[in-house]
Amino acid sequence: MLRLILSRLGSSVLVIFAVATIAFFLMRCAPGGPFDEERSLLPEVQRNIEERYHLNDPLISQYADYIGGLAKLDFGQSLKRPQTVNELIAGHYGYSLTLGLMAIAIALSLGLTMGVAAAARRNTWVDHSLMSFALLGVSIPSIVLAPLGIAAFALHLGWLPPARAEGLSSYLLPAFTMGLIYTGTIARLTRAGMLEVLGQDFVRTARAKGLSERAVVWRHAVRLGVVPVATYLGPAMASMIAGSFVIEQIFQIPGLGFYFVSSVSDRDYPVLTGMLVFYVVILVALNLVSDLAHGALDPRVREQR
Amino acid sequence: MPAVGDPRHLRWCNSGEPESLDPALATTTTSLKLVYALFDGLTTHDKNGLPQPSLATSWDISDDLRRFTFHLRDDARWSNGRAIDAYDVAFQVLRVLHPSFASPNGDGIEPVKNALAFVGGRMRVMQRDVGPLRAGTIVEVATVGGTPVAELPADRPIPSSNKRPARAPLALRDLGAPASAAYAHVDVGGTVEILELTGRPSSPPSPDGQAWAYVHLNRGDGLYGWVLADELGPPPAATLGVRAVEPKRVPGLDLPSPPPAVVEAPVIEIDAGDALSLLESVGVRVPDAHTFVLETSDPTPFLISLTPGRTLRPTPREAVSRAPRRWIVPGQTVTSGPMTLVAWKERDYVELARSPSYWNQAVAKLERLTAFSMNDQSASANYYFAGGCDAVTGNNIPSSYFPMINGERTGTAYRDYTPAPYLGIYFAYVNTKKVDNVHLRRALAHAIDRTVLPKILHGGQIPTAQFSPGTPIAKLSDEDLALCGVSRDTPGVAMIMQTGVLCYVPPPGLDYDPAKAKAELALARTELGGTLPSMTYRYNTGVEGHKLIAEYLQDAWKRELGLDVGLESQEWKTFVADTRAGNYELARFGSIGNFPDTEAEFLINFRCASPDNRAQWCDPAFEQAMEDAKPLRDRAARLAKIREAEGIMLQAAPVIPLYIYTQHHLQRPYVRDLYINLPDQVPLYEAYLDPAWQAGGADR
Repeated sequence: MLRLILSRLGSSVLVIFAVATIAFFLMRCAPGGPFDEERSLLPEVQRNIEERYHLNDPLISQYADYIGGLAKLDFGQSLKRPQTVNELIAGHYGYSLTLGLMAIAIALSLGLTMGVAAAARRNTWVDHSLMSFALLGVSIPSIVLAPLGIAAFALHLGWLPPARAEGLSSYLLPAFTMGLIYTGTIARLTRAGMLEVLGQDFVRTARAKGLSERAVVWRHAVRLGVVPVATYLGPAMASMIAGSFVIEQIFQIPGLGFYFVSSVSDRDYPVLTGMLVFYVVILVALNLVSDLAHGALDPRVREQR
Repeated sequence: MPAVGDPRHLRWCNSGEPESLDPALATTTTSLKLVYALFDGLTTHDKNGLPQPSLATSWDISDDLRRFTFHLRDDARWSNGRAIDAYDVAFQVLRVLHPSFASPNGDGIEPVKNALAFVGGRMRVMQRDVGPLRAGTIVEVATVGGTPVAELPADRPIPSSNKRPARAPLALRDLGAPASAAYAHVDVGGTVEILELTGRPSSPPSPDGQAWAYVHLNRGDGLYGWVLADELGPPPAATLGVRAVEPKRVPGLDLPSPPPAVVEAPVIEIDAGDALSLLESVGVRVPDAHTFVLETSDPTPFLISLTPGRTLRPTPREAVSRAPRRWIVPGQTVTSGPMTLVAWKERDYVELARSPSYWNQAVAKLERLTAFSMNDQSASANYYFAGGCDAVTGNNIPSSYFPMINGERTGTAYRDYTPAPYLGIYFAYVNTKKVDNVHLRRALAHAIDRTVLPKILHGGQIPTAQFSPGTPIAKLSDEDLALCGVSRDTPGVAMIMQTGVLCYVPPPGLDYDPAKAKAELALARTELGGTLPSMTYRYNTGVEGHKLIAEYLQDAWKRELGLDVGLESQEWKTFVADTRAGNYELARFGSIGNFPDTEAEFLINFRCASPDNRAQWCDPAFEQAMEDAKPLRDRAARLAKIREAEGIMLQAAPVIPLYIYTQHHLQRPYVRDLYINLPDQVPLYEAYLDPAWQAGGADR
């Protein structure tokens, strides 16, 4: 176990280094710079600004500075905002995390329930309607779902605010919108996993012991049935809690998602590379957790290691 | 969501997160509307968005339109109680121009003498006599080690004249403060850079008879402070080739025309330390604490239009020096305007409160202003409809909402909705290097029926073939009609430049005329021998309207002229860089003016040397008309010349004007004095909510 964690950490450092390097050079290849706008800056002014951010240094020395900063967990200074990238993350990550955790809670509770129920009543109307709903959740993009939700619950009914993060109630609409996308996938994975498990010998044994169907499903089968979900959850959770640009933008939640896009269109190099590295860290960490969870849920995996 | 109810609290949906609230760093209207509530200026915007006296109660303008003397009031105070004086204004100019502050706002006072050369680190003031150069002479660096400055490689900066080692431990502090009040220290041998010396023509006098120097310490975000000048060591050894800057002569005014060829002064080698880079090398003078003088190199009739801008909104030196990038802190920021900053939750809202120290207590009717940072137009409008804000700033309503609120669907416009013309023009550039036949360009311009555009866009856009934006003449008041000297049935627009004083009526352009379009095309075919250049129209992605217009133009050119024009969309920064490099044939663009003056804000992009001359068009006749206008003191005569220039430009068609932007506002009926004006320069603090109306209750 410890060896697994250590070797994963080692390879993570390599991955992060590679991501930072690729992002750094790719961004510099993109045409235009952070200070190009409709109305050009005076050349003298532009030089002074670039000087301040060391953008006139040779690229290789900028890269060395950047990697040196990364080693000290310093992502550098935003070119467009007064804050450093670390300050941006510290100041805005809370919103994304809150939104992401709520979305995960919604996706998991709905998705697992739906998946298990559909598997338990396989090929009945329950199964069909739940799975159709799941398909809808997967296929309707949030740029459609979110405005519909706003029109209905904020503008028409007036139950929830249409925008801004002000108290937990303002997270409900965005969290549902985000959660529903994952609910569908989780429900379908759960159903498939459950169906596979329900046909196995140990389930037959459990039934033969005379256990009620409910006990068979919830006490014995679910644990193995959700293994595919555990595997899927790593990357899914990472993208939920790393900040979603679309959802945060539509609902004006001042989370991190905004910077994933604005940093590209602004050519704010340090912010973009900072965001990517931050996302990779979350992704790698959650994948590790999901692998560990996989082991904890499925004794066969544990024994192989 | 905040409850509706407090009549002295305006909740306003702003168009996004201010990038800064520091007048030296803020650039977009999103920031500047708030900046202008926080910081007073020589002038401020009146309800028409035009300058009115504020810190400066009056000003004198020299006959040659090159010297502007502002007389400052003596009852203006910073929120920390200190009097605001002319040295504060000069300090703001220094902040905007000095390379160490890296401000993007240097263009705000570009016409001021030597301002750009100072930004580039090229200006010096002689500190002692060297050869023919007397102490006090203003010189420009011409060569470094024999290489002309323009040819210096990027990694070889101009040697500094102002860097000094510390001879004694330096204690950075406010001017005249004891060393014990220092907020930063420099050890012996550490290097600082001199920005100002007491007693110079644009710097404060010494408070105690000793010479003080205001220095920059390059540490972190930078630190600034006053130290005793005799604690600074000798300058670094380097030589510079400098030349005296001759006062620029104005043809027709200083000299009999034609002017003789300009003779440049000889280059003289000096030690870098024989001169200093000081603000006095720029046309900025402070003769006394209540007089501020700006000198421009060319006659500049529009200089007063620059004065309410960010460049001349002083900032408090004591705060800036200690944290030049981070001195704006809610609850602590020293401000000078009608309001102070009480809260700033990033990407959520900024909150301002009435300032008790502002000299004109009558002007601010609001106790509190909450500006929500809505960077999404739909969210902004939705928030308004749900009761979250009392007004939405200009242009923060998605175009997809227009048919619903402008009466197109229902017959009556939504009560709270007001569209108004905006000081901006949407047009297509024609790259004259690639489409170099003028008849072909004219054919393209004549082929477009602009009246279709508002039907495509639904935003009440004003179709135009003229380049200078303005208010449709049909909608002018009777006084403005008289001022502009036009009758109500005159087609086109007029730009009111100064209320009741000055009006500009742009010349007609190449409007829709299928017959002329075909005739011009035939001429083009003859001249080009039958082969027309292949053309692609570019637009930037992300805005649906750009695409719709591109498709309409493509269709019109095919229908009217039988021309096949390709379409290509590009991501914004790529688009900006590509069009600047001349890597296109036709491209959409927009131009928005800070103040209504077509000479300074719109036609400038067609000067040969303009970095934004995307059309790559350079016409001696146009240049001549623009130059001829410069010395004219009579503004009406000057505008006539400018009109001539615009006419030359329109006939050459380096640009196809399409429509004048409109601004779109949502305001609840109880909101008063939240003005809507052409340049969208709004003194937010003058707004208030009418308590009598609100007693009526429901408002949707």
